[in-house]
Amino acid sequence: MIVPPEFIVGCILLLAGVIFTAYPREKTYLTRLINMEVAEFGLVFIMLSFNETLALVTFVAVNVVTTLIFVRVIEKKEGA
Amino acid sequence: MTDLILILAIFLALFGGIAALLVRSAFDKLICLGILTAGVVLFLVEKGYLDVAIVVSLLMPVGTIFILLLLGKKQEAAK
Repeated sequence: MIVPPEFIVGCILLLAGVIFTAYPREKTYLTRLINMEVAEFGLVFIMLSFNETLALVTFVAVNVVTTLIFVRVIEKKEGA
Repeated sequence: MTDLILILAIFLALFGGIAALLVRSAFDKLICLGILTAGVVLFLVEKGYLDVAIVVSLLMPVGTIFILLLLGKKQEAAK
């Protein structure tokens, strides 16, 4: 069984993104938010390797809404 | 020819992702995230998912603008 290269890249990005989201180099909300985006792209790569078109479109579209909500939450948290 | 595009996409995605994780400044992180997005779009086009490539290309700048909205208020992020 041959493993597609996007699956390996996706696994590397997902694992590294999750680890660096949990233990970032600078412990700020913004750093964690941007590191979480890297893990999201890793998940996009893994879904790409399984040929899930509809899941890809939905996940990418919902990601932007999630980012907007996180930005609003962090704004309120840092403003207080 | 196709292998060259694949190698280029792997290079862009891996280096953009690792650099976005390791770099300290938030603006540099956003720029490295753009490199990672370029790798993703190249992978999608190479596999033939042009509709997903359209969605990623249209929506990722919107997310970057949202993060930039948060970043403009922080004074210490500019250093």
